[in-house]
Amino acid sequence: MLFSRRGTLERVEAAQASRRDSAWSALGTGEKASLIAMAAIVLLALIGPTLMPYSPIIPSGPQLAPPLSSGHVLGTDVLGMDMATRLVAGMQRSLLAAVVVTAVSAALGTLIGVLAGFRGGWLDSALMRFTDLFLAFPAMIIAMAVAAAIGQSLGSAMIGIIVVWWPLYARLVRGEVRRVVALPHVQAARVSGVRGWRLLWRHVVPAVMPTVVVTASLDIGAVVMTLAALSFIGLGTPAPAPELGRMASDGMKYFLNAWWIAVLPSVTIGLLAFVFNYAGDALRVVLRRTGV
Amino acid sequence: MLSFVGKRLGSLVVVLFFLTLLVFTLGKVADSDPVRTYVGVNASVEAVEAAREELGLDDPIPVQFASFVGGAVQGDFGVSLASKRPISDELSTRLPATLELAGWALTLTVLIGVSLASLYSRPGRIGAVLRFVFFSAASAPSFLIAMLSVLVFYKWLGGMLPAAGRSSYGPYDDGTGFYVIDGILHASPTYTWDAIQHLLLPALAASVGAGVALARVLADGISSSLSSPWARTARALGEREGTIVRRHALRNASSPALSLLAVQAGFMVSSLVVVEQVFSWNGLGSYLSSAIGVGDFPAIAAVCLILGAVYVVLNTLVDVALAAVDPRVRLS
Repeated sequence: MLFSRRGTLERVEAAQASRRDSAWSALGTGEKASLIAMAAIVLLALIGPTLMPYSPIIPSGPQLAPPLSSGHVLGTDVLGMDMATRLVAGMQRSLLAAVVVTAVSAALGTLIGVLAGFRGGWLDSALMRFTDLFLAFPAMIIAMAVAAAIGQSLGSAMIGIIVVWWPLYARLVRGEVRRVVALPHVQAARVSGVRGWRLLWRHVVPAVMPTVVVTASLDIGAVVMTLAALSFIGLGTPAPAPELGRMASDGMKYFLNAWWIAVLPSVTIGLLAFVFNYAGDALRVVLRRTGV
Repeated sequence: MLSFVGKRLGSLVVVLFFLTLLVFTLGKVADSDPVRTYVGVNASVEAVEAAREELGLDDPIPVQFASFVGGAVQGDFGVSLASKRPISDELSTRLPATLELAGWALTLTVLIGVSLASLYSRPGRIGAVLRFVFFSAASAPSFLIAMLSVLVFYKWLGGMLPAAGRSSYGPYDDGTGFYVIDGILHASPTYTWDAIQHLLLPALAASVGAGVALARVLADGISSSLSSPWARTARALGEREGTIVRRHALRNASSPALSLLAVQAGFMVSSLVVVEQVFSWNGLGSYLSSAIGVGDFPAIAAVCLILGAVYVVLNTLVDVALAAVDPRVRLS
């Protein structure tokens, strides 16, 4: 050995730190801005609802007050509930739901993909047939059917989306596992007697995870949009729950005279999707540069 | 090629079968009780029994599934729990409405995609601004685009374009259900133009997102084609840049664009459902959302099956078309 373990570790850490710096500086202005915007929106969604002076589900002012009214920056809705408060609460709801949906789909897909790719044989072909069947289904329609069968709530919309989202991860992970298993370090581990779960857990899964995490971070924006669409057509929790899609579709009845009650929730959804789509791309660049 | 088509047709049948099985199963495990929805909460025991019999709920499950499949193949989806009328009556007027809108939306998608593609890869600051604008448009939910277009073209521009419905005159009695075609068949320019005006905003709202996605794929394909050796050869032979893009690069980029279009057609189904609701368009989408509102699962199942079948068949057609164009697809 040329240098001590400690020295190696320091060198690796220094190299990682410098790569991290260069990754950040390699980002364009827009990408940096999108990452900062994403951080701001996550922060707003997490702590915003507690900072708001009103309740999102109790009327707190005159009905249909336009934006910039005193005490209600973004106006009030048909029942006199504060729009700003409801929008921030809705953001929190949307984001939490999207993160849960993405995480569960990714976990489920990873489990199936790892099983199929690592075990191979009949299990592989059976699981992949099953996955392909779900990939061939029209995703949005199945999500609607599943959610409609369970009932009108955010939870059922979430389940509907998970049902159609996991196959993407299963396919992706299965391909990655088959690639990783053939890599020299896994072969070396196998030759030195590492088998079964230990090989899988110590050598294969860690190599697959970065791809899964990057894909998941890119997916959040799409899941936010899909949830909003389901909620808009009535597959979400009914009012007064602060759900952005539902707020937009309920507001449609009045929107020619009071545009804000329908347009503002829609803009909020668009903003969430935009920031997460953009930041997801930036995140992918960062992760690729740092070589995780 | 023939064996490829055969294989794709085989998997089409399998997917359609499992799609039907899934929708049927969902109907069985659905949260709401179909009989209660059908006869109402206060119905007598006898009425409930009679309704069970009428809806065929006393039969064993496999028999129910067989008659569900048999009916679906013939276009019979049973009785709506809400209106108590055959669902197929409702579908026969609404399917043309949705197909007409979808056709226009797809056409607009291609128009938007092709016309924006060259703007997408523009270098410099203008290009960056354009990409930012496109990215925002692609992230906007279709109902936001729908609302904004109604505010602009209906409210602020004093009713320049209509904001609801399919026609100011209603359908022709002997019509096809496709209003623009009906207008042309009856040689009525007023009717045709009116139908087109009603179509423009909903079709636009359903196609912006897909159009931008298409533009992005086309732009990627074009820019990679332009740096290829054969583009250099064309340049060396004195072809102008515009000709190279139109004659060579666009064609090479169209294969991935075609497969993207099939994917986008699937997404478009969901934006159509949303957009129909905004524009009170009497198609399958608004039927679906009203059925969701009253828990009418047989109607929901029928719409999902029809839209799902359209999607699956469309995908098969695109696969076959791709294989016909590109021999590599057949072998993979």
